Amino acid sequence: MSKKEKTVYEAALEHGFSRRDFLKMCTALAATLGLEFTQSDQVVKAMETKTRVPVVWLQFQDCTGCSESFIRSSQPKTESVLLEMISLEYSEVLSAPSGHQAEASMEQVLKDYKGKYILAVEGSIPKDDAYLMVGGKSARETFIKMADNAQAVVAYGSCSAWGGIAGASPNPTGAKPVTSFVSNTPVILVPGCPPIAEVMTGVIAHIITFGKLPELDHLGRPKAFYRHRIHDKCNRRAYFDAGLFVESFDDEGAKQGYCLYKVGCKGPTTYNSCAEMRWNGGVSYPIQSGNPCIGCSEKDFWDNGPFFTRRAKIPGTQTTINPDSVGLAALGVTAAGIAVHATGTVVKKKMDEKRGEE
Amino acid sequence: MDAPKLPTQMPGGPTSHPNHAVGINSENSFHPEKPIVYQKVKNEVRVYVWNLPVRIFHWLNALAIVVLMVTGIYIGKPFSSAGIPGDAYYSNLMGWMRYIHFFAAFLFTANLMYRLFWSAIGNKFSRSNPFRLIFWKEVWETIKFYLFLKNKKPHYIGHNPLAQLSYWIFIFFGSWIMMLTGFSLYFEPQPESFWAKLFTWVPTVFGGSSYMVRSWHHLIAWAFMLFMIIHIYMAVRDDYLERNGTVSSIFTGYKTATNHSVGEKDGE
Repeated sequence: MSKKEKTVYEAALEHGFSRRDFLKMCTALAATLGLEFTQSDQVVKAMETKTRVPVVWLQFQDCTGCSESFIRSSQPKTESVLLEMISLEYSEVLSAPSGHQAEASMEQVLKDYKGKYILAVEGSIPKDDAYLMVGGKSARETFIKMADNAQAVVAYGSCSAWGGIAGASPNPTGAKPVTSFVSNTPVILVPGCPPIAEVMTGVIAHIITFGKLPELDHLGRPKAFYRHRIHDKCNRRAYFDAGLFVESFDDEGAKQGYCLYKVGCKGPTTYNSCAEMRWNGGVSYPIQSGNPCIGCSEKDFWDNGPFFTRRAKIPGTQTTINPDSVGLAALGVTAAGIAVHATGTVVKKKMDEKRGEE
Repeated sequence: MDAPKLPTQMPGGPTSHPNHAVGINSENSFHPEKPIVYQKVKNEVRVYVWNLPVRIFHWLNALAIVVLMVTGIYIGKPFSSAGIPGDAYYSNLMGWMRYIHFFAAFLFTANLMYRLFWSAIGNKFSRSNPFRLIFWKEVWETIKFYLFLKNKKPHYIGHNPLAQLSYWIFIFFGSWIMMLTGFSLYFEPQPESFWAKLFTWVPTVFGGSSYMVRSWHHLIAWAFMLFMIIHIYMAVRDDYLERNGTVSSIFTGYKTATNHSVGEKDGE
């Protein structure tokens, strides 16, 4: 395994890209990263001088959906990411070797690139080791060993970022997000079920370009991609403000493209860039295609109630209720209680008055 | 029926007999029957309980809460759609509901800040101090009073301690929850603004996500509704039991009370 340290540019030329192709890629990348056009030369410079970043991609309690999303990136193209920008040292989905060979390459990374590689993680980690052993080692041990020596951990998907479906109530495996097992290594959360492909590649591209982690918000997500609510960038927003709503999926409003708020759209509580970057190379995203947002990039989204109704969660529980029905019921009970109490008050007063007269 | 008798006596004269007050230009000219009258209680005074600012606060708060509730329920679950279907251009129903909700919210906030300030300079009925043992003892006595149990609840001119406690819970803490969660939601579209940054800690406290902030906001709103009907019932009940003008006092500021309850001696 001879590893000559090639720059991204050199690697691109080697794979038959022209200078022109390379510049196009850099410009597109700058746009994806949310940079101004004038800053694209920074990206070019970085790609000309920086070597490829070694990446180890671990999968735990996941569905491989994040990997599937990743390989559908269009800007930058997945092949340019995989072949030029990063050096994917270990991946269960994309590795050529398997078995002991694959496991050996992980050990090799620890030797060669200690403190330099990026650890991409997909899936949650169970509290009880028995639920997930890979190659005879527990997922938790593998993760802790790899995370401690990594430059940064990138938690891809809602499972690794928040616990995801495995961590949803009742959480039989005791699944936890990767942040519960990291001590000193910085972690970037890239939630989503799955995350948008361009966001996944964009995060790595940012690390390569600027040599540091992207700016994170208070929950540890890259601001560039998770700063805005779906609702505020939604292509159906005008219908929300107008008060035009889809009442059911087969009504006229659904055909007209009205707002999906009343059929449970979680756009108003979801932070992601679906509405801006969209999916499959900018073709569409769920709301545009007529399905309410299910809020897949939000914490515990599986427990946030049925997807197609609006609910409220009782604080401190995993239970969602219809706040207005419950509120009205509580109001009814209170009114009944008041009626009983008022009757008692009147009866007591009359009795007291009678006693006073005697 | 007898025709009204001509005056035999000047109005306002000695009224040893109620029928003496009958005559032209007198109360009983047309309807000589005697109305139900309550005996004027001896040794009773009118007490100025609610300062004007407190009454203004009360009614602005009531108005704001009702407006916020109606618009809030609409925002949470739009119960009617815009009248003009088709393009989003011609109507702005949700837009207006939200606008009115925000306007009322700012009124609600400013009003509450003003009330908090007033408790520093207002009369003794505008204040409450729950950091005393006696407060909680009397809360307990008041609870027993409301449960028709034997109790040692004295008569209060202002709020009884249980009422004070309910204002602490709903009007103080409840309002703060509504304001913090509300402003956090309000500034969500402008996360980089100064105002949004003031409230970035709110989601952390209320469960981490925008959805939890929204849930709190929606649930506490209904708590306000429960408070409102209980509050109105209690006021009417107090008026009924004590005949002290509790209900009218929130308009006039005055309640009636016995001389000794305000520290005055009984007169003759």
